[in-house]
Amino acid sequence: MTSDSELGEIHAFLAAHPPFSRLSAQALGSLVRHTEVSYYRRGSTVTTAGDDNRFLSVVRSGAVELKLGGTDLNARLGEGESFGYPSLIRGGPAQNEVIALEDTLLYRVEKQAFLDQRRADSDFRAFFDTDEAGRLRRALEGSRRMAAGDASEALGAHGPIGSLNRRREVVTAPPAMPIAEAAKLMAEHDVSTLPIADGDMLVGIVTDKDLRRRVLAPGIDTALPLSEIMTEHPITAVEDTPVLTALVMMAERHIHHLPVTDTSGALVSVISSNDILARLGSNSLLIAKEISSASSDIEVARACSLLPGAVTGLVSAGVDADHVSRYVSTIGESAHRRILRLAEEELGPPPVPYALVCFGSLARAEQALGSDQDNGFIFPEGHQKAGRLPYFEQMAKRLTDGLDGAGYRYCPGEIMATNRLYRQSVPQWEMRFFQWIGQPDPDAILQSTIFFDMRCLAGDHSLVDELRRDVFAAASVNKIFLSFVARAAATTRVPLGFFRNFLLQDDAKEGQVLDLKTQAIAPIVDIARLHALANATPATNTLERLRAAGDAGSLDADAARDLAAAFEFVRDVRLRHQAQQVEAGEAPTNKLPPASLSRFDREHLRDAFKMIRDQLDKARSKYAGGVT
Amino acid sequence: MIEWLLPGRERRLKRKFEQAAALAPEGPLRDYYAAGLPAFSLPVSGLEMMAIDLETDGLDFEQSAILEAGVVLTRINAIPAHGAHRIRIRPSDALSPSSVIVHRITDDALVDAMNEEEALALLLPLLAGKPLVAHFADIEAGFLDAACRRVYGTPFVAPFICTMSLENRWFPRTRAADGLRLAKLRAGYRLPAYTAHDGLTDALACAELLMAQIAHHGCTALTLGDLVRR
Repeated sequence: MTSDSELGEIHAFLAAHPPFSRLSAQALGSLVRHTEVSYYRRGSTVTTAGDDNRFLSVVRSGAVELKLGGTDLNARLGEGESFGYPSLIRGGPAQNEVIALEDTLLYRVEKQAFLDQRRADSDFRAFFDTDEAGRLRRALEGSRRMAAGDASEALGAHGPIGSLNRRREVVTAPPAMPIAEAAKLMAEHDVSTLPIADGDMLVGIVTDKDLRRRVLAPGIDTALPLSEIMTEHPITAVEDTPVLTALVMMAERHIHHLPVTDTSGALVSVISSNDILARLGSNSLLIAKEISSASSDIEVARACSLLPGAVTGLVSAGVDADHVSRYVSTIGESAHRRILRLAEEELGPPPVPYALVCFGSLARAEQALGSDQDNGFIFPEGHQKAGRLPYFEQMAKRLTDGLDGAGYRYCPGEIMATNRLYRQSVPQWEMRFFQWIGQPDPDAILQSTIFFDMRCLAGDHSLVDELRRDVFAAASVNKIFLSFVARAAATTRVPLGFFRNFLLQDDAKEGQVLDLKTQAIAPIVDIARLHALANATPATNTLERLRAAGDAGSLDADAARDLAAAFEFVRDVRLRHQAQQVEAGEAPTNKLPPASLSRFDREHLRDAFKMIRDQLDKARSKYAGGVT
Repeated sequence: MIEWLLPGRERRLKRKFEQAAALAPEGPLRDYYAAGLPAFSLPVSGLEMMAIDLETDGLDFEQSAILEAGVVLTRINAIPAHGAHRIRIRPSDALSPSSVIVHRITDDALVDAMNEEEALALLLPLLAGKPLVAHFADIEAGFLDAACRRVYGTPFVAPFICTMSLENRWFPRTRAADGLRLAKLRAGYRLPAYTAHDGLTDALACAELLMAQIAHHGCTALTLGDLVRR
């Protein structure tokens, strides 16, 4: 028989779908030889739960539905998606019933061939990992690398190193120049790095550090030529090397200066890591500086308008979601402070000490783009009527108007200092909280949860600390309140996953839009908050709360770590989505059509959804006795 | 309704099969006949069939050459990939330019191919004892018969299942002129689009179509006699 008896269609199809696409032609050929083709009419059963399963099945055309134990919808899979591997790996019966949703053609790889490949190939094994958490953690690392890789092709902040500003003519010295003379040259030109050039050709490099370590410390004669102490054949980069690549080169070799040559090898300049960082974060550093020196709300707004661009730069540089969110929150915080300060300058000193408190994502230092404002004033005990003073009324108006102008839109729920309800003394605020805690009702819980994430942005911090301490102390001992919070969290409809270009819910409804904030981020925030309330943890940031819950043992360590990974991943997807929106000139949102998600993101979002659902269930049974 | 006819059809095919067997000279064709004719009463479930597609350089059984035979072992619930075989055949004359374009088979590709006699010696054991499945089976039947007559001087007889006539018989309806083409019918069953005019792929495409037709027919008690062309 000739060797080309392989079924090319099966090979070609698998080669176009991960993880098979990453296999060598030989490994894939071996899987194809152990594959069979089966057809299922719409509505027919592919696998019955509890039966022996002998195949890893890949949907070639059509679609299937997986139901756990034959009852609970688990997933819908379309072309190129696989099922059946958990039972092969586990070596037990199938847990899912599989039904053909449409007329379906399956390519089915025999169990032994699948297991052999899995044993031989760690990437293949990782893809079919049944541990969602592990897969998600690897995905996080992978998406960072991908983001950083993509960025090298982007323009702007990620252009070639040749585009970095060179302040002056590059100073060089011949190898024969005495060390003392070179030191003088470096001092005169205020450079810390001296390229040694023989004619046009770079032959070595001498830095400040070399002078310290190779000349002063060992006491070498400074009349000797530079060639005695220079680093020969230094690492160089050609002008068109992307900035990020240059940064990686420098980071890998722990060097801070990099000679840049043209394509002929002639020295053009020396760049420093500071030059690169300034380029990468130029906007990010600039915005904070501009806000703090702004002399009007308009100047604050102008600085804040640079934020989306800065975030886009950070995201495409592969900066992780937590750092980006903290950065965005820092800018938000500065804007609040500056606008408040400008108002104070105009209105005069406050008649009563007060604190500006913020709630929600800014309080948690988890702001993304497009957040609205949630704020209030807190006065000390004994100043029940301070909120009615025209001073604070005007102050609130100035603050919220200024913030709205800077892109922090008015809160649609009126959770703003302009609302008299949110200009109160500590005891008044406490009364409000104690009411929520003491007489919980499901609607009020949903509305009030963001108040439990509070942070002082300006003024007397002790007022906010006092309020938080009292509120959390009261909440932590009220089991009924905690059960309401747990139940409210569990009502979030976290999706099952995706099916084709739809979002799949457990009632088999297919949605057109994924809201990352309400459907994935908020439930994790809710779980973290629930544990913080139960343990009276002072932390407000979700990752800190999860860590604290893990330390306190109210959340098991694995769950705390897994939720943190899921939180990181979904926020990463959101920021990348927002960066794309910004680049396309659209307003950043939390909503995205599933069709716009890469296969990678879809698969790992499904893992994250699964973990979030599991943890919401666990939280409910822990705090609400598992009863709905 | 016309079940009483079946024994007659089977009897006629059996007679032809046995007559041809008696004439076949010693060798691959005689061995093929020795494997016998599967009974029409065999249930379709568990039946082993062989889907076959021939790529030729023309449509004249006597004059055109077979360039490639693709065969795919077929069971109604699964087609195992290891049961697929491709046999390339070197024609006595150079290829006509038009068939090069259609089949993407060039003279170069056929350098390693075998002659017709060697090819039949490989192919016939694969077909022995099995019903053969093809789309518009008259072509495959005609070319195999002509090849056997050239090489062995005697005819080729086999139980053929024709997916094109099966479609017409089981799901009759008015269709466009090209409505019975393999790709068109496959699309109707939501089978994926495959690259046409590759012997092996066409045989697989035909085997999948048969699986789909049987699944949609829905009867669990089908026998070979229900499938064999009339």
